Amino acid sequence: MIEMSNWALPTVGVWAQITGQSSLVDLTQWTLIKWALWLFVGFFGVFPGIVAYLVWAERKVAARFQDRIGPNRVGPLGLLQPIADAIKLLTKENIVPRSADQWVHILAPVLILVSAFLVLAVIPFGVGMAPVNLPSGMIYLVAVSSLSPMGIFLAGWSSRNKYSLLGAMRAVAQLVSYEIPQVLSTIPIVLWAGSLSLVDIFDRQLETGWFVMSPPGLLAFIIFLISSIAEVNRTPFDLPEAESEIIAGYHTEYSGMRFGLFFLAEYMSVFGVSCLATALFLGGGSLIPFPPLSDFPVNYLGPNWLPYILINGILMSVFLAKVLGIVFLMFWVRVTLPRMRVDRLMNFAWKFMVPLSIANVFIAAIWYELALRPGVRFMVAGFRLPNAFVGWLVTGPTVLLLVWFVIWFNRMVRSSSEEMPIVPGGPRVMVTGSKIAAR
Amino acid sequence: MIQWLFVFISVIGLLTALGTVLARNLVHAALFLVAFFFVVACQFVLLEAEFLAAIQVLVYIGAVAILLMFGIMLTRNVQGDDTTTVSTRVAVPAMVATLGLFFVLAFGIDKHGVHRKEVITSAGTMTETSVDKNAWSRLTHRPKASDPVRPGANMPTRTESIDDMARVVGREMVNRYAVPFEVAGLLLTAALVGAVALAHRDVEEETAGRGIGAKSRPASTSDSPVDLNLTLASEPAPTAPVHDV
Repeated sequence: MIEMSNWALPTVGVWAQITGQSSLVDLTQWTLIKWALWLFVGFFGVFPGIVAYLVWAERKVAARFQDRIGPNRVGPLGLLQPIADAIKLLTKENIVPRSADQWVHILAPVLILVSAFLVLAVIPFGVGMAPVNLPSGMIYLVAVSSLSPMGIFLAGWSSRNKYSLLGAMRAVAQLVSYEIPQVLSTIPIVLWAGSLSLVDIFDRQLETGWFVMSPPGLLAFIIFLISSIAEVNRTPFDLPEAESEIIAGYHTEYSGMRFGLFFLAEYMSVFGVSCLATALFLGGGSLIPFPPLSDFPVNYLGPNWLPYILINGILMSVFLAKVLGIVFLMFWVRVTLPRMRVDRLMNFAWKFMVPLSIANVFIAAIWYELALRPGVRFMVAGFRLPNAFVGWLVTGPTVLLLVWFVIWFNRMVRSSSEEMPIVPGGPRVMVTGSKIAAR
Repeated sequence: MIQWLFVFISVIGLLTALGTVLARNLVHAALFLVAFFFVVACQFVLLEAEFLAAIQVLVYIGAVAILLMFGIMLTRNVQGDDTTTVSTRVAVPAMVATLGLFFVLAFGIDKHGVHRKEVITSAGTMTETSVDKNAWSRLTHRPKASDPVRPGANMPTRTESIDDMARVVGREMVNRYAVPFEVAGLLLTAALVGAVALAHRDVEEETAGRGIGAKSRPASTSDSPVDLNLTLASEPAPTAPVHDV
């Protein structure tokens, strides 16, 4: 096991105050400078820039999937398209419906945007490169991301538009439902890292390898990814803003830059959940997923500036590459899958994702006892079995069995209750389509 | 400076609390309530308890307020501006109850002050029992942040509580506050069962009662399309009260 002190930075001097990983903050001028840099360079500069080019990337990717070229008129490869879009949005007239609730109408996009931005405040992009290291970072993340349903609800309500209201209702129902598996799927991570701080989680993954590299970790990662796509209203789950049904959902009545804020917030949260998935499951910026070398670039950290900058450069590039991979996956899903039906959406959350993620916590505990707990050894005929091997042997089949059981159970329940209206008070949409699938 | 910050935040809190009570529009009232919850979270941060602040935001803003707004939308006029005036018959009992609450709180806070004075007269050196009861209620008697974690001591030191509050709260909950914790769990379970019992309807009843249910809804919501029912009805009822912590 790698000792923390191998690569921990010296704790004296200005240097350590800038880069130190302690959660206790000394409110010196260096801290203030660091925060100001994060705020003005990161949150006002780099992140919106990344988001603008995510929009460009999505248009390019979607175009390729649909055998088109995509934006190619403004600048080479259409690279200036985001800037043109931003100027268009800024100069457009900002129309507020006369019957709308003025203040709430303004407040709503701000709330959503704040929620999307605040998620990024605890992500460790490199060593000493987390804007803030909160000891209870995971709870903070859940709390902050739970603000966005409020914003969406207020946007829909304040517009005085039936379609907006419908979109808001759908959005809140969906977000509240998918929040639960999303949070539950991060419990294994907290269990294995023994801490709620994202920096500690990153450190722990340098020791033990990426958390996704275990059966329960993989299942948790998949659950997290699916519910994250639902949380950011991307396509298989884009009922809140389904164009063909309810125009644009909760932001129907927004125009100009206020609509731009919604747009920015949506792509910002796509970026945010991708960063989160990377930091939680894919080992942040580390290169090698398995233990002997899992702390590869970080173990060369010394007291000097140069290796620190080089290593952080590597870490942040790898981090960004992983994030872009996940974002590409989201684009891929978006251009491939059609929109889900409302009842299927809810059933999927409550009958598949929630039970799977709850049971996965127990399997994660088994994995911890077998593979991660220090001092556990498995001897067979004088040979020492690697702990990870035993862990895979036990939890791998368990996870498969669990997934099979949840699917089997749901099908059994569904086919035995064909006569019952599944959705009380609503039209019996459920029965017709699913019977065929169940047989 | 921190006192002024406290006063500033508290004033905002009081204003938002007043706004909650006085706002005519129900959704505005709910929004003021959200602001008030946020101010409470700020107070937790001032008390160096950022874990509790996050929990406060998560539970009260993220869950309770959302469900509250959902409830406002479903039960009343969808636009939410129409509020009925409180009938005067309720006013007098409400005032009596409020005054009663005020006296209880004033008495409790005052009593607490008396207790504190006793601690001060015991000349600074705190016995273990006095720490147990009062250490967290007084700014001046809190252990220093630089204190090391004492092995075997019951009280978590301040450093540990700040750095690892989730663990400390969890440990206290299964040790010292095990019984209140269990009782709260029992209460929530009872609420859950009650909600299921209220929401559950048999199939025959359901098909028969559908017409009645539609009629009893307010006229203003009758123009909302069917989709809306579908979305909400398909969300399982038992889950709703879980947030109601």
